[in-house]
Amino acid sequence: MDYDVLVVGAGIAGMESAIKLGDMGKKVLLVEKEGSVGGRVILLSKVFPTLDCASCITTPRMAASIHHDNITAQTYTDVQAIRRSPDGGFRVTVHRKARYVDEAACTGCQLCENACSVSVPDQFNYNLIARRAAYIPFPQAVPKKAVIEREGTSPCTDSCPAGIKAHGYVSLIRSGKYEEAFQLILEATPLVGTLGRACYAPCESECTRGDLEGTLPIRRLKRFVADRHYAEHDGPGIEAPAANGMSVAIVGSGPAGLTAAWQLARQGYRVKIFEADKEPGGFLRYALPTYRLPQDVVEQDIRNVTALGVEIATETPVRDPDALKLDGFDAVLLAMGTPLSTGMGVPGEELGGVMGGLDFLRDLRHGTLPDLGGKRVVIVGGGNVAMDAARTARRLGARETLVAYRRGREEMPAHKSEVDDAEAEGVAFQFLVAPVAVVGDAMGRVQGLRCQRMELGQPDASGRRRPQPVAGSEFVIPCDVVVAAIGMAPDTANLARLLTLEGRRVKVDAKTLQSEVPYIFAAGDVVMGPSDITQAVGQGRRAAHMIDRWLQGQEMSGFAALDDRLAVIDKAKVMARQTSFSHRDPVTLHLEHQQAPRDFQEIERTLSEEEALRGAGSCLDCGVCSECGQCVAACPPDAIHLEMHDQTYDVEVGAVVLATGFKLFDAALKTDYGFGRFPNVITATQMDRQLAPTRPFNTVLRPSDGRVPDRIAYVSCVGSRDKTMGNPLCSKICCMYTAKQNQLIMGALPLADVAVHYMDVRAAGKRYEEFYEQAKAMGANYIKGRVAKITEKDNGNLILRYEDIDNGGVITEAEYDLVVLAVGVQPSREAERLFPDETLTLDDFFFVGEADEDLSSGKTNLPGVFVAGAASGAKDIVDSILHAGSAVAQAAAHLEEAGAKKVTV
Amino acid sequence: MSERRIGVFICHCGGNISDYVDVAAVRDAVKDEPDVVVAETTIFACADATQTDMVQAIKDQNLDGLVVASCSPKLHTFTFRGVAKRAGMNPYTYTQVNIREQDSWAHTDDPEGATRKAIRLVKAGIAKTRLSAPLSPLEVETTPRTLVIGGGIAGLRAAIGLADIGLGVYLIEKGPEVGGWVAKFGNMYPQGRQGRKLIEELVSEVARRPSIKVFTNAELQSKSGSFGNYKVEIRVGGTSSLGIALEVGSIVVATGFDTYEPEIGEYGYGIDGVVTLPKFKELVDHAAGPLSYHGRPVKTVAYVYCVGSRQPEGNAYCSRYCCAATVHASIEVANLDPQVHQYHLYRDMRTYGKYELMYTESRERGSVYMKYPEDTPPTVARNSAGQLTVTTHDTLTGGEELTIRADLVVLVTGMVARKNAPLVSILKLPLGSDGFFNEIHPKLRPVETVVDGVLIAGACQGPKNSSESVASGLAAVTQSAAILKKGVAELDPMVAQVDADKCTWCGLCEETCPYAAVDRTEVTGKTVAVVNPAVCKGCGGCAPVCPEDAIDLRGYTDAQIRAMIENLAEVPVL
Repeated sequence: MDYDVLVVGAGIAGMESAIKLGDMGKKVLLVEKEGSVGGRVILLSKVFPTLDCASCITTPRMAASIHHDNITAQTYTDVQAIRRSPDGGFRVTVHRKARYVDEAACTGCQLCENACSVSVPDQFNYNLIARRAAYIPFPQAVPKKAVIEREGTSPCTDSCPAGIKAHGYVSLIRSGKYEEAFQLILEATPLVGTLGRACYAPCESECTRGDLEGTLPIRRLKRFVADRHYAEHDGPGIEAPAANGMSVAIVGSGPAGLTAAWQLARQGYRVKIFEADKEPGGFLRYALPTYRLPQDVVEQDIRNVTALGVEIATETPVRDPDALKLDGFDAVLLAMGTPLSTGMGVPGEELGGVMGGLDFLRDLRHGTLPDLGGKRVVIVGGGNVAMDAARTARRLGARETLVAYRRGREEMPAHKSEVDDAEAEGVAFQFLVAPVAVVGDAMGRVQGLRCQRMELGQPDASGRRRPQPVAGSEFVIPCDVVVAAIGMAPDTANLARLLTLEGRRVKVDAKTLQSEVPYIFAAGDVVMGPSDITQAVGQGRRAAHMIDRWLQGQEMSGFAALDDRLAVIDKAKVMARQTSFSHRDPVTLHLEHQQAPRDFQEIERTLSEEEALRGAGSCLDCGVCSECGQCVAACPPDAIHLEMHDQTYDVEVGAVVLATGFKLFDAALKTDYGFGRFPNVITATQMDRQLAPTRPFNTVLRPSDGRVPDRIAYVSCVGSRDKTMGNPLCSKICCMYTAKQNQLIMGALPLADVAVHYMDVRAAGKRYEEFYEQAKAMGANYIKGRVAKITEKDNGNLILRYEDIDNGGVITEAEYDLVVLAVGVQPSREAERLFPDETLTLDDFFFVGEADEDLSSGKTNLPGVFVAGAASGAKDIVDSILHAGSAVAQAAAHLEEAGAKKVTV
Repeated sequence: MSERRIGVFICHCGGNISDYVDVAAVRDAVKDEPDVVVAETTIFACADATQTDMVQAIKDQNLDGLVVASCSPKLHTFTFRGVAKRAGMNPYTYTQVNIREQDSWAHTDDPEGATRKAIRLVKAGIAKTRLSAPLSPLEVETTPRTLVIGGGIAGLRAAIGLADIGLGVYLIEKGPEVGGWVAKFGNMYPQGRQGRKLIEELVSEVARRPSIKVFTNAELQSKSGSFGNYKVEIRVGGTSSLGIALEVGSIVVATGFDTYEPEIGEYGYGIDGVVTLPKFKELVDHAAGPLSYHGRPVKTVAYVYCVGSRQPEGNAYCSRYCCAATVHASIEVANLDPQVHQYHLYRDMRTYGKYELMYTESRERGSVYMKYPEDTPPTVARNSAGQLTVTTHDTLTGGEELTIRADLVVLVTGMVARKNAPLVSILKLPLGSDGFFNEIHPKLRPVETVVDGVLIAGACQGPKNSSESVASGLAAVTQSAAILKKGVAELDPMVAQVDADKCTWCGLCEETCPYAAVDRTEVTGKTVAVVNPAVCKGCGGCAPVCPEDAIDLRGYTDAQIRAMIENLAEVPVL
């Protein structure tokens, strides 16, 4: 037996149970789902009828329940299952949620809270204000340890092939931390400016806001921070670390090679990049037209890499990677991409005026492209290179630019926006046509492209319907230039002697990117075939990580991920979490396309700061924590570890006390009272927070305009004694907390008028009646009669329509500045799911049932399982204490009996 | 001890202290005080990480005194005693200095003054620590038995509960039989079981447990000793009987309640046909069919609520149980005779919690509820025709005056405290203004009293229904077990001690002590005072009254207090 008793829930009943059992010498496991013990009592202002400060009387209990020699208290922990074990005890499955904070190291200094870029409704202030995703539950929390609330990785971050923390930089931008956002992106890749322009932004396709008004401009936010950074810095703004004495050679300076170089250089490796072409950048330099990606941006991004000491040797093709090893490099990364254009394989391809798509773009950059002025250009292919070539041809003055593609528009691999932009710029399309031959003249110049019409048949391996020729459909498209943008391939022929190739691709382990020659790794398109920049960046990052592991002698397998991302959060969960949405117009950019574009000026403009803030401000914080890492950096004792994991383990216990507490009635369900619609209608728990010593506003305010209210009304029995709300029960506590709050309000706001609209005042308890009389004597105006409806005036004031029973039952209206709903108690429904193998009996209203209320209060239908406090029905504090005492006496008797049985056996 | 090695830790408490007190200045001002070898500031003294640092500092620097300047000792005395213990230092050589509640929070308008005050407070704490002596908690073995006073439902259930967790029980009942009020009851709520059956069940359970010894016709005669080890004497069998001495570790008082007896004329009390709630309950419990009273059929019943409760003159308190009990009775009446008319004249219907369902059922079964105004309560009379009438104003129908001709008028009377002066004086139990026994804290410690080990359960603490009384009886079981199950009790060693050489036995200390902890004894032929450390609470009341300065409070000796005052008063102004 690991523990004598499991106590589930560390509110007042759970703490009382645990402490008393501990005092008896029983070993107790106390499990609390929140980050602190204390339950609801610690959140109260004062308690009735003594008007003791709730924290003052609760904190010593909280401390005792954590520090008691016989109590093991685990916060931020759930019980998953309780099963009866053969020896008469229970096997309990405990789920410790990762708090992402080393509890022993955390000092509760709150610097992580201050640094955190995400705000969520503060459940400990009943959503009256916000707290951060990194938080200490409340000032008197025990243990006073931070929690990082992470529900999952946000869809945007999860979808990024490059591993960029998209949610993270969005939340930083929202906080005005632009440079921090830039630095966060740098953690994944040096190509911030490039990706801010040329990325196809899968994050935006996944954005949950996209299902509402439209996605956040996530890509352009990246460009925004890049442009701001580069306006002030030349380079990354960080220093190179001390050298670790090892070196890596990288072949190719495209996105994969540059990213890998950056990552390795940040680890202290000496890195040298070998680039075959004249200038570094690979596709970024040669394949992407400058109207999409200006060259100075590529150069700035590359300077991030060279600033860390990475050397780039241009015009230095590498024929033999093994020679690099002999030159002293400890590892070699092949990242040469796919520099070769695939031909059409049709007659006439050798004619002048026929060129590959990539060659076309590269020649432009090298200045060797023939003049296209007045020419008719046909681009064959439907990919992004085809679109880039077509739009480039338009800019070079082509008379006609036609894209011929063998499938339909829907099947085009090019990104939709690229196709749309090309069309807007005057590019014509012919679908379902395939080249048969290039027709030349006597001079060997292109005259036209003979094509045949196609139709779509069965889907092929790629899932797209296979085009099939239509017999007798051949025709000729007259043209002067044919650009065959139909495919690209790696240039790897010389590697065959060293490595296995798959087609022309280098074969590597998919996870480690290591080749059969251990010191040779490969990444990017040379491994994947033609992909896109983000995927290449992602591979470069992975390769660097793996090379580092390999060179450091670490295991190459058996670890979960490159970084601390979690499983992606379910969007339905994100939507369900929202109690209301405010409409946010998406930040969109209307591009002005010219039908005859003449220059290579960048088309898209950067976001204004206002647009950036507005765009980032629409973020729904899907995963809660944005993984921006600010808390990690801010924590003085390095206590925050985002790579922590949840833990699940089993323990054996002898008895169980369920102290799972209650839920508050959701006042929004009582639609006549306008809670959730009228800001100045609040719940009594929210008012209690406004009156507490740790109150959020330091006075009582009404939410709509922050004004101190003069006329305050309480409405009793909200969600209680109300069959229309499915709850005919009285909640027992509301009358008394109302009387308490009345007195506290009259202390805090001596000039305020307080009225209470009530059905019956239920001051049944020791000194309760006297307390109620005291509230009346202090000036609380009790008005008998139920409130029918609340309406709101333009100034935020509220009109209550009610029956004034004491004055003849007339229907009356009264105006108030603030209305407080005395919300009732509901079953928490947390206990019954704990027993997968047996049924915990509930009462008719779904509170935990008591088997013998007459003689054994706190006993459930399950032997050895007891219930303490409001889990079994509405109770105030003293009722809960007595009920816990009753449950504990029986739990101890159960253990005694079980012990005696064991002795006799 | 002339040479001490003291560590001083000054807490920021986030900003709670450091926003107003310059904690670095405080540290600088005290770091060169004599015997101070460590002086540090910390963001949160109570954080686990800081505690670990403190333990390390105590060990590394071989400290024999610890001063923590942070918040109220109410919060963290045990925290830092724990630190000392873990570091192998005597926990009683640690001093808590309160620079939060008593300084930073009180002087938010004067940071410089608050800093000066903090320096003095910390210096005073250092001075006290310098003179501190290592102390050990007193350990007393406890007696694993409990005396339960009162054999009503709370006492009986408590006795069974105590026996079931392995404690011996003596149950004494003043009357000839156990069972109390509930033994007389028929159907009860919430489960619809009969009161007498419940008691029968408990009595047979008691009989099955050899560790429970029941004495009927028995009363408590005296009590001496202290918490964990009380010696009590009971007298069994009335005045002519024998006394029995018993030793117990705790006492559960479950002496129950009396019901309110109206004055003659109060709501017509005294008129034939006007009965109290208990009488009515008896009538209903014994009825086999439609109700009759004094041979007359009862076709109309009028209930007048809050008789003797919620009164500006007399009992101000609400008696808690009566609304639900009456509502329950009205359902019973309807069960006996569905044709009966029942009128409930109430002020506020207090069927709290799940009892609301009975209120609903009662209305559905035909009971009519009318709310009467506080200032014009109903009047009960017999009219010239000899009919019993109740006249009331019904606020629910516009306050119109109504007269009900009733066959029976039930005055819904509440509970009152049972008069039991001898018991109160033997146990030294405090009473509230309502006459019920007072608990130590009405929210968090409802069954404990100021007398350690003497617990109160059931309606002697305040009005309760049967199942609530049982719950509080079991809570008293838990509290007894929490005290007694370990077998030993640790008592705080900070108690008064008498220097027998100086003492001349004048008796002033004995008179002053509120806990009867001082006795006289003979030491080498001289009468001197002696303090029972198990009874002494360390309140210090005796020390200043001693004309010979013969009494010192351990942990707060005169020398320590004097040193503190000197430091508080004489620190030069910053």
